[in-house]
Amino acid sequence: MIDLNERYAEKKSFFNRLVVVYVFFGFVFSFFLYQTYSLQVSEYKDYETAAIANKTKEVLVQPVRGIIYDRSGKIIVNNVPTYDLIVKASLIKSIDAFLSDLSPIIELDSDELDYVRENFDLKARYNRELIVKKNLSREEIAKFEVRGYKFPNAFIDVRYSRYNNYPELFSHAVGYVGGVNNDELASILNSQSLPQIETIFKYSNGFQIGKTGLESTYDQILRGKFGKKIFEVDARGRFVEEREFIKPTNGENLFTTLDIEAQQVAYDQMDNRRGAVVAIEIDSGSIVSYVSTPSFSTNAISNGISSRAFNALIQDNDKPFFDRASQGRYSPASTIKPAIALFGIENNIIDWDFSMEDPGYFILPEDQRVYRGWRKGGHGNVNLNKAMIVSSNTFFFSLAYKSDINKLIEHLSNFGFGAKVCADCFNPDKALLPTPDWKMNNLNFGWFKGDTVNLGVGQGYLSATPLQLAYYSTILANKGNSKELSFIHEKKDIKNLNIQLDNINGLDWKRLHQSMIGVIESPIGTAKILQELKTYKVAAKSGTVELVSTDTKEDYKIIRENEGNRDHAIIIAFGPMPDPKYAVSVVVENGESGGSVAGPVAIAVLNSLIDK
Amino acid sequence: MKKKLTFKNFSIYFDQYLFISITLLSVIGLFFLYSASQGDLNTVIKQSIFVGFGLFLMFILSQPDPDFYKIFSSLFIVLAIVLMFATMIFGREVNGAKRWLNFGFFTLQTSEIIKIALPIFLASYLYNKPLPISLKHTFISLTLICFVFFLVYSQPDLGTGLVVFMAGIYILFLAGLSWKFIFTSFGLIVLSMPFLWNNFLEPFQRQRILTFIDPSNDPFGSSWNITQSKIAIGSGGMNGKGYQEGSQANLNFLPEAETDFIFAVIAEEFGFIGICVLLSFFFFILLRCIYLAFNARDRFCRLTIGGLSLVFASTLFINLGMVVGIIPVVGMPMPFISKGGSSLLSFYIAFGIIISMATHKKLMQK
Repeated sequence: MIDLNERYAEKKSFFNRLVVVYVFFGFVFSFFLYQTYSLQVSEYKDYETAAIANKTKEVLVQPVRGIIYDRSGKIIVNNVPTYDLIVKASLIKSIDAFLSDLSPIIELDSDELDYVRENFDLKARYNRELIVKKNLSREEIAKFEVRGYKFPNAFIDVRYSRYNNYPELFSHAVGYVGGVNNDELASILNSQSLPQIETIFKYSNGFQIGKTGLESTYDQILRGKFGKKIFEVDARGRFVEEREFIKPTNGENLFTTLDIEAQQVAYDQMDNRRGAVVAIEIDSGSIVSYVSTPSFSTNAISNGISSRAFNALIQDNDKPFFDRASQGRYSPASTIKPAIALFGIENNIIDWDFSMEDPGYFILPEDQRVYRGWRKGGHGNVNLNKAMIVSSNTFFFSLAYKSDINKLIEHLSNFGFGAKVCADCFNPDKALLPTPDWKMNNLNFGWFKGDTVNLGVGQGYLSATPLQLAYYSTILANKGNSKELSFIHEKKDIKNLNIQLDNINGLDWKRLHQSMIGVIESPIGTAKILQELKTYKVAAKSGTVELVSTDTKEDYKIIRENEGNRDHAIIIAFGPMPDPKYAVSVVVENGESGGSVAGPVAIAVLNSLIDK
Repeated sequence: MKKKLTFKNFSIYFDQYLFISITLLSVIGLFFLYSASQGDLNTVIKQSIFVGFGLFLMFILSQPDPDFYKIFSSLFIVLAIVLMFATMIFGREVNGAKRWLNFGFFTLQTSEIIKIALPIFLASYLYNKPLPISLKHTFISLTLICFVFFLVYSQPDLGTGLVVFMAGIYILFLAGLSWKFIFTSFGLIVLSMPFLWNNFLEPFQRQRILTFIDPSNDPFGSSWNITQSKIAIGSGGMNGKGYQEGSQANLNFLPEAETDFIFAVIAEEFGFIGICVLLSFFFFILLRCIYLAFNARDRFCRLTIGGLSLVFASTLFINLGMVVGIIPVVGMPMPFISKGGSSLLSFYIAFGIIISMATHKKLMQK
């Protein structure tokens, strides 16, 4: 037994010790209260922000691309609604039961079934919509409307497809849209200060970006700005409810200078031959027609094409994807002669009164090499006017022979050869304006006098695209004045590219135009066959691009057995004269005769433009 | 005032302060649980049944004379240890831990029983030992404490194990453990820390502690819980977001919102003011326990009241400390508030015994 003293000591010890523990607890508790206070009061803002960030999820909403119009306000490319069958996956208990109920109304092929089965669980878990079938037919829509009450968790919603009303006409000019890869997507979203996150698509094909043509050049304008939907989400990322919707800004419409009618005429005239047509409104430098043939359907490329059909396009020897208008390189051939003539006058090498004998060939004094004209026996005595009309090679060989190569190159580059001539064309090629340096660097040969002579008739190393030829034609028509070409009338950063020719006066231009009119109107003109095709006067210069050099007509007959060896037909033209409004260039590959093959195409296009 | 209501042949023992404050706390707890469970009425009804049964149990257990507990304390602890072994053999395994014994209608977390049985037994063992406790009795007590600790720890359940360990140590300390022994052993523990770290902590427990020290070092994502808990508490601010308006709890960002982290739900919805009010209930209960301990009739009762109330306080502080992120995450419920069966009932049992200790007076005192 414990005595009273001991009992008292025990009690005191107990109290002391209990107090020690509680004092310790008091410290712990104070620290706890302090921690809670700092969380809830001092750092409240941070944690409030964190809580909001936790429960909100932003989803991008895709904008609709701008519409593309022709110059009269007709729609070229539109957004066509397609109807997709969509289900709210999280509300469907068994997807297999759903699909078997659905099968009598809307049939799914095995790919579609696989897609639905593969994606159902994920979409259900996060309360997302699942597209069951894209692009419903009218019949399917009607059937679903009647029996849709059986499917309260399924609905039909609009998704757009990018649709070109003239899918083959504008395949190179307007181009097509397609999906984006991750890097492209990141850079697009980055340009709008958006993170790469989940997106609600307006297009059944998801993210769309212009891949070629105007769709690509003006992608930023056409694209629009993404909107946002802000959802409340739970910890698993499941959508609980929609909180806010910032509507997307749809893309701006694009009003082009293209003319559907002229485009149609050009396309029909080309009749699937390989080649290109480019037509320009002279005053503004706007491109009104831009055709490369053969073509392909942009709608098929953008909205679905079987791999067999696609491979057939890729493997087609005529290369339908190749944009001949801005990337095809052709020797300008005789169409270069007006520029050479201007060079001769400007540098006082010739004047309109100068004449010479054309025996049908030119002999280079240095090495006695013979340069032949197109007509055996020649054209007799020729002055500049006649040389233009009959396209005398001898005259221009001799003129080029007397020219300084460096000056001549500079002169030609002013006409757009070897240069970029279009402000908004897709990937235009500069082709080649050869220089002595270029030849040395690329062919390891010095520049021969013969090279300069060849340049005088547009053969040799010189090449140009139909787009450059159309630009050249525009400058000739506009007496040395020109603007950078463009598809958009109001394009602001268009450059004026006037040529300084000190020695050329108005009369010279008039005479030059006269000689080019003579190409068609003169009974000896190389394109006289075109006389009856129009009701007004047209200035032109035809050309025939020799692919294989032959000395006689008989030799040519042998090599032309192979279509690929035949000469290219080429023409530049502008009218109506004397105040030309439109300039045009036409190339028909292996068409043989500039005047009679490329010529009718050019005249038909001018007719359709001028008749208005 | 504690009361003894005397009828003709028997008396009813009852402490109205503890009874009312615990009842209130339990009812408030149900109210919080409704929100934390996102309006799940089933959970709340089930919890109400436990609360009702718990209050009844508390009342019943406050009736026997402290001598009953003193006499049968050895039996209790033997029974509790047997149950622990039974758990080891027949227990239900959940997430790699065997803590539960299935009785068909009720699954018992046996460590909750031993958490109460151990301090009572130690109190009955030490109440008549002279001060300071001799080395022999200290050694016997410590052996028992460590044995019981390892039983719980091996389930594994470090959290409850620590509480059981602390329960034993509290009694030993309050009963008059010599200071010399305390300082010596404290020094030894500090020195043996690296050894304990390497040999007694499971890798995931080590990781929890490392994560706690350096939250960026978190390969298993264990700081997700604490991060979300802090966001819930912090975003509650001074006044809270309002009942059932807590987004952290309602949108499932907060893990274990009904059990270990229910305090974060309360803090989110009722703010700093709300938790001050809530904590004042706990504060009152603890103050009342100190008062009762001071006025207890003998050393056994004092030790038992002191020990059990400290177990209660420790559980609360471990829970609070874990939820606000000042100690590592160990599973520990908030007494009377968190959803639970055994852990909830254990505190009604403890307070039943506390009231018994406090209300019975010996007529004949030495």
